[in-house]
Amino acid sequence: MFDLDPFHFFRLTVGWVATIYATVVLVQTLWGWVDYLSGGERYMTVVRRYLVLHALRLRFKTFWGDVLICVLLCWVFVLVWMAHNAIEG
Amino acid sequence: MLPEWRSAEHLPAVAASPAPVIVSSGSAPRQLADLPKDELDTLGEEYGLEPRRFKTPQELVAAIHGRRQLIASLDRAALIDVVRWGRRPVPVNATQEQLAFEILRVKSMRFDGLSERGLIALARLRGVEIGPDEAVPVIVKRLKKTEGFWAKINRKRRAVLGSIVSGLVGESESSKEYQFLPPQEQQGQGSAGGAHVPPRDRSIKEEIEESGLFGGIAARVKKTADQYINQKLDDIESRIDRKLDEIDRRLAEWRDKEIANRLRILKITLWASVIVATCSLIYTYLKVHFGK
Repeated sequence: MFDLDPFHFFRLTVGWVATIYATVVLVQTLWGWVDYLSGGERYMTVVRRYLVLHALRLRFKTFWGDVLICVLLCWVFVLVWMAHNAIEG
Repeated sequence: MLPEWRSAEHLPAVAASPAPVIVSSGSAPRQLADLPKDELDTLGEEYGLEPRRFKTPQELVAAIHGRRQLIASLDRAALIDVVRWGRRPVPVNATQEQLAFEILRVKSMRFDGLSERGLIALARLRGVEIGPDEAVPVIVKRLKKTEGFWAKINRKRRAVLGSIVSGLVGESESSKEYQFLPPQEQQGQGSAGGAHVPPRDRSIKEEIEESGLFGGIAARVKKTADQYINQKLDDIESRIDRKLDEIDRRLAEWRDKEIANRLRILKITLWASVIVATCSLIYTYLKVHFGK
């Protein structure tokens, strides 16, 4: 008989929906920027170079705390995932 | 391309930038002789000669050639002294010829404040023959002799006019320190010391004495207008610079805030994922070990 686990069903559904939604929004945003910056307007080259300049002037140490927390959380997530697989066998 | 004679010697006084090397070669007079008469006359006037006094072009060419050799033989420090005394606008790296051209425009007969070597250089440029051991008063006397009667009367008249106008305007005769123009950089960009730039820091009395009533006043008005416009342009430029800096600073702030915000959202998402994964792990553990 079909054994439906409500928790796993909820978890997988939320996972798939959230992943697809986030991917679509991300691709849309990136495509919008690429479309805007590849335009042939008069000063678009200046804008492109200015953006590159701002990216180069970005200081890593301003955000290093947040970045470190994100890396640690990713690591914890992978560990939990591996533990999950180990329990399930 | 410029003709050969023009490339070195015939450029305007200060506008000509690179050092026109004066070489006394036998071919120079022959090249000058090929010039049209009006151009030759203009060149002669630039060298402080009066072309009408020369009956034939050959004589004028010879005189120009002599002038070049004279200028080349003069002491540069002495020429600088004269330029400072005459308050002529020249760049600090002006060539010997440019200095001489500016000095030839000085018509003043007041030699106060001029060094002895400068006086000798000025006398030689004005065509006064002086011996090696001439005393300063003798040189001054000879220089004054070279000025014609009517020229002297006209100068005196202009000086009186200058005094009157100066008194009307209420200008005090403050003698500021002489300043050179910015150094000229390369050929064609020597306009910093343009030949028609009004002299700096001269009183209106001196300007009227040298250029006449209308010329002096016009030069003063032009100088004042130039200064005003330059000041305004500098103000506008600095305001634009400040505004651009402000825009740049605000963009940088906005960029940092935006990145910090995105990182915060990413962190919240990761926390939620880890919490849900932990709950799932506990659930799975309970289900595997106690669910049967």
